[in-house]
Amino acid sequence: MIDRHDVMRMARLARLELSEEEIDQYQEDLMRFLRSGQKLQQVDVAEVEGTSHAVHVAHELRPDQVGTSLRQEAVLSLGPRVEQGFFRVPRIVEGQE
Amino acid sequence: MKELIQSLDVREVSAQEIVQHHLEEIAQHDPGIHAFITVDQEGALRQADDADRRRAQGQALSPFDGIPIAVKDNISTKGLRTTCGSRMLEDYVPLFDATVISRLRRAGLVLVGKTNLDEFAMGSSTEYSAFGVTHNPHDHSRVPGGSSGGSAAAVAAGEVPWSLGTDTGGSIRQPASFCGVVGLKPTYGWVSRYGVVALAPSLDQVGPMAKRVEDAAALFALIAGNDPRDATSAKAPSFQVPAWDPEVLRDLRVGVPEEFFSAGLDSQVEHAVRGCLRQLEDQGAVLQPLSLATNAYAIDTYLTLVTAEASSCLARYDGVRYGKRVEAEDSNTMFAKSRSAGFGSEVKRRIMLGTYVLSANHYEAYYEQAQKVRTLIKEDVLDALSQVDVIITPTTPTAAFQIGAKRDPLEMYLSDLFTAMANLSGIPALSVPCGLNSHGLPMGIQIMGGNFSEALLFQVGYMIEQGVEGSARHGQL
Repeated sequence: MIDRHDVMRMARLARLELSEEEIDQYQEDLMRFLRSGQKLQQVDVAEVEGTSHAVHVAHELRPDQVGTSLRQEAVLSLGPRVEQGFFRVPRIVEGQE
Repeated sequence: MKELIQSLDVREVSAQEIVQHHLEEIAQHDPGIHAFITVDQEGALRQADDADRRRAQGQALSPFDGIPIAVKDNISTKGLRTTCGSRMLEDYVPLFDATVISRLRRAGLVLVGKTNLDEFAMGSSTEYSAFGVTHNPHDHSRVPGGSSGGSAAAVAAGEVPWSLGTDTGGSIRQPASFCGVVGLKPTYGWVSRYGVVALAPSLDQVGPMAKRVEDAAALFALIAGNDPRDATSAKAPSFQVPAWDPEVLRDLRVGVPEEFFSAGLDSQVEHAVRGCLRQLEDQGAVLQPLSLATNAYAIDTYLTLVTAEASSCLARYDGVRYGKRVEAEDSNTMFAKSRSAGFGSEVKRRIMLGTYVLSANHYEAYYEQAQKVRTLIKEDVLDALSQVDVIITPTTPTAAFQIGAKRDPLEMYLSDLFTAMANLSGIPALSVPCGLNSHGLPMGIQIMGGNFSEALLFQVGYMIEQGVEGSARHGQL
């Protein structure tokens, strides 16, 4: 059972602001999704290791060489709000003026 | 394509003329189909001009120098808007090319534009794009499939000779099947994902779409290969286009999994696929019935993993470094307002489901459980492939459905019923047109094989293509 409170908690974790209708809708969707997924719960996986990637790839270290990278101004040009070479965001730490 | 290249070689036509012709096709057909989000007319003509100059100097970059292509709009193109079908990125212009794009440019291909997709590749009909619905060129009241619906429709309508799509659970093969074109989901890791906007990194692959098997194989040869910029890139050699020899069918062991021919499969699709199987048998292949029982879990496993990975991948859209931003007093509210304004309803739905299956109390029961079932599915597939050379199934249970017919998201998810298994297990899978149904709609046949068996899949696909009559192959367009 998933209640509206659960849906709102998920939305908070996912940084989504949902309308009342969306909360109702996603509550129903979540319940139906979990119900349909119930047959997965019945599969015996006691001795089974999980697969995180389809093909096993050993991660390799690359040579530590200086290469070309994107210019700071170019990257900053994509930012919705930029100031003095930084991305600007609203205040994060409170109470310090 | 062969004819195009020959006429370019003998300078009968110029790249300018070829590109101009395709731009005219787009201008004529795309208002009714809407395969494209962005058409780069000026850039395409400039690239064609460069190609002609190189050819005049005897310095063509490849046999394909000057041939146009379209690319799904979740693949980064330097200087050309890459929206992912989302309001979140409607003004986003990448600063770099995806590796697959660099490879196309190195061969001289002319990028004419970016094709429509379900938002962030989440969907099976291209109805979930923030830029409007794409229509199936065979019947404008029907969907082209998805999420690479624009790439499939553009090829089917003759707007471009070939295109690139991406496939996470069937997003190349299902639209290829619906639009009557060829589409390959490559072996995981053979094509670089660098610069491809992630939906689910453990499942995503870029692949070719074209009218003919030969052309899909040629395009695959251009994009496949190791890339140090992608940590999951396979240490595989480059791909060589195989010889088209009917001998390949002699004693070829073809697995036919009974689970893919049971209830829910449209009778006309079944008839067409079984007809192709009989033809292969007549040409020397040996059909072997087999069971892939774990396909019963494929959709639920796929959905659990894809929503989990997507919710994590889409955390990067926060209104800070790029993309949509809605201002607010504090950062958390700014993030939430920006994300809620930028994402459409299907994207939010999947983020919600993914957040749930990854959350503290549910992680083991859902996400970890799905990862383990994935192992069983993969073992099932690899076990089957130890007994046969290829596995052949329908690509989709039905032909293209009507626009608006699938309002229920759970029903839409079932579109991937026959295709998700290849992504979960990593193996390559090719969809080839196998005829038209009584409404004149294309149907597709899927050929799966072991990792890095693309050459064999193309060869078998080529033989199937030869067996399907010209007009029934792609329909009358």
